[in-house]
Amino acid sequence: MLALVLRRLWQGAISILGASVIIFVISRLSGDPVVMLVPPDAPPSLIAEIRTQYGLDQPLVWQYLLFIGHALTGDFGNSYRWQMPALKLILDRLPATIQLAACGLLFSVALAVPIGVLSAVHRGGWIDRIGRIFAMLGQAMPAFWVGLLLILVFAVQLNWLPAFGHGTPAHVVLPAIALGWYPVAAQTRIVRSAMLDVLDSDHIRLSRALGTPERLIVWKYALRNAAVPLLTMLGVYFAAMLGGAFVVETIFAWPGVGRTVVEAVFSRDFPVVQAGVLFTSILFVLSNLLVDLSYGLVDPRIRDVR
Amino acid sequence: MKPWITGLAAASLAALPLAQGLAQSGTLTVGLGAEATIMDPTRSSAGVDSYFFGQMFEQLLRTDPDLKQINWLAESWNLADEGGKPVITVKIRPGVTFHNGDPVTSADFQYGMQRQQDPKLSRFSHLLNAVEAFEVIDDLTFRLRFKEGDGSFITSNLHLWAMPKRHIEKVGEEEYQRAPVGTGPWKFVSRTVKEELRLEAYEGYWNKQNRPTVKNLVIKIIPEDLTRVAAYKTGAIDWIDAVPPAATAEFAKLENTSTYTAVTGNNLFLNFNTHQPNSPFNDVRVRRAAAHAIDMDAIIKRVLFDQGERYAEIGRGTPGYDPDLKPYPYDPRRARALLAEAGHPRGFEVPCYNLTTPREPNIKEMGEAAYAYLSAIGIRCQIRQLEYGAWINLGRRDAPPEMDGIVSWMWSHGLPGDPGTPWLGHLHSYQAGKGLGSYSYTDNAEMDALLRQQQTTMDPVKREALLKQIARIKHDQVLGGLTTYRPMVTIAWRTSKVAFKPWPSPGFWRNFQEIGLK
Repeated sequence: MLALVLRRLWQGAISILGASVIIFVISRLSGDPVVMLVPPDAPPSLIAEIRTQYGLDQPLVWQYLLFIGHALTGDFGNSYRWQMPALKLILDRLPATIQLAACGLLFSVALAVPIGVLSAVHRGGWIDRIGRIFAMLGQAMPAFWVGLLLILVFAVQLNWLPAFGHGTPAHVVLPAIALGWYPVAAQTRIVRSAMLDVLDSDHIRLSRALGTPERLIVWKYALRNAAVPLLTMLGVYFAAMLGGAFVVETIFAWPGVGRTVVEAVFSRDFPVVQAGVLFTSILFVLSNLLVDLSYGLVDPRIRDVR
Repeated sequence: MKPWITGLAAASLAALPLAQGLAQSGTLTVGLGAEATIMDPTRSSAGVDSYFFGQMFEQLLRTDPDLKQINWLAESWNLADEGGKPVITVKIRPGVTFHNGDPVTSADFQYGMQRQQDPKLSRFSHLLNAVEAFEVIDDLTFRLRFKEGDGSFITSNLHLWAMPKRHIEKVGEEEYQRAPVGTGPWKFVSRTVKEELRLEAYEGYWNKQNRPTVKNLVIKIIPEDLTRVAAYKTGAIDWIDAVPPAATAEFAKLENTSTYTAVTGNNLFLNFNTHQPNSPFNDVRVRRAAAHAIDMDAIIKRVLFDQGERYAEIGRGTPGYDPDLKPYPYDPRRARALLAEAGHPRGFEVPCYNLTTPREPNIKEMGEAAYAYLSAIGIRCQIRQLEYGAWINLGRRDAPPEMDGIVSWMWSHGLPGDPGTPWLGHLHSYQAGKGLGSYSYTDNAEMDALLRQQQTTMDPVKREALLKQIARIKHDQVLGGLTTYRPMVTIAWRTSKVAFKPWPSPGFWRNFQEIGLK
């Protein structure tokens, strides 16, 4: 198991290094950040001064080496716009993003698993059809539209939940639904398809022949076997939610990393973009590692093979 | 010493007695769409920063709700001529203190100027290039000596900010950036980036007439327009900034709500390629055709929901405004005739660069509509949408990308503002290394001479005349772009709960100088 963890960590480090090169190059292709920091009438001497101040007058390779060298010590530089450490800007926002992504994922799984299981058990029936339509709705509607609709209904009309902000459990409900509804359809399909395979397998038939209650067969023996592909996808979905929550964060004024990084992209705030993308990459790698390790928990055969 | 003008005593300050006799108590929550990144006026890099620091910091002069310039931290000031060079002498208002209790002195303004002149700190250091020396006369008097005239110095409220020298030197730069201290009606309590700013009314505030009457102010950051509207409707906020244009009519009818609509300090225009030899826009008849081709009133009404005001070169209230100068009337027949006269009876195709940014409501759609009108008379636009960064790149700095058609542009004159600086940027010819014509596609020697003259003219009467003269030529020749509209902003508040008098900070209306709970 230790060898597996170390191998995955090594592969993860290579991925993060690759991500650092890509984001460093791409961000610089977007143009000169200094012209966005100065007023339009700023003289060239002032622009040159600021370029020197941020090391942007150095050769690109040297800039990258300095960046990666400092990054290894936890120094991602100061945000050009916020004039504070970029890492602090990201880390301060990270808990809010993790909270939102986790709640969004929880919501999606809480819907997808029962819908997927019931759809498989009642294959072709009305429960199957309704369940799939409900799941598909989330995929058919963009998150910004779902978010606004939720605000209109649950905040403005019913006044049950806050329309925006962060801080109490009530604040996370609407953003989590807006974020989590989209992957429900895909997760439902995965669960349904895996359940159909498992329910058709020999050991389930044997359980039925032995008179095991159907509820136990479906919700314990079959679901446990069917959970492996879902777990694989959950790691990917969690990471995607961490990096892709920008729209939901903006709509609900949620103080997360996604909003911070996307705004930094538009203002060419390289240190914040780099810190944000690298941290998202690290979380992506870690969440996939956790998924790999969790296989063993649900399926002892995998643990034993490795 | 020959005095040119003298600042008025601050008699006008007593005109708005919202704060008189009211105790400061309670908490008010307001919702803003945009967020400042910096809370120190000397380190600011964007106009949006003043939304925050404008509550806590003050200048020598400021603009009152009627857009008149009044004395503020300056009790009086005068501009004189000494040996052919301008000199401004300022007497600071006695009794003004910083939020930490320190009195404001000349040394604090001198320190503020040093910060503003330091390019390592300030993105606007060039604005003080004309100042030769800062002389401290006594604790409450100082003198600014100029190398040459600086035409926009006075209209920019004398540029300087009161910065607490002793405090910054004591706590250090990092701590000061975290918890700023100014002289304004609000003092800093806490800030959560992307979430909120908490302020508390400053008990020792010098202006007892015009001050907040609520104790605590919470500024929530809600970037999405519809969410901000929802927050207001649900009662989460009681004052809303930048009501979306499409919702202004609804807000005007909303029960228990007051709205205030005012022109912003931004100025929008379409600029033409007149710097490349084969451009059809080198012919003034083509530029005039474009000016007659666009029904800007209709676009403002339909696309901007009336949240815009047409202007011809200089907006109402801005120095140099000429009521006789009217925007070109919409006349597509005349436009087609001018185009044919210029040798383009079948029109021509041209790239039309369109700015798309959330910074100005519906700016993308406004550009598209204007380009559609141009296409209708034969200036067939191939629209190319540009996000803000790509749009900025169309400038003519050290490595100029070519702007080979039409571009929708904006350059704030401010409130009430001054067109001098923007004109030096987009009307003066491009001069590498001098910061002149940085976004200009115009090359006109007469105009350059007049612009240089206004740049150094501080006498307001002479300056006004010069600005009007430039505006007339600019308008007649459609030089430096075709002026289109000034955006307007609508703010709203709950009448039963909030007492509010809108005050502008430079260029904006998000200033809580006078606000309270009923």
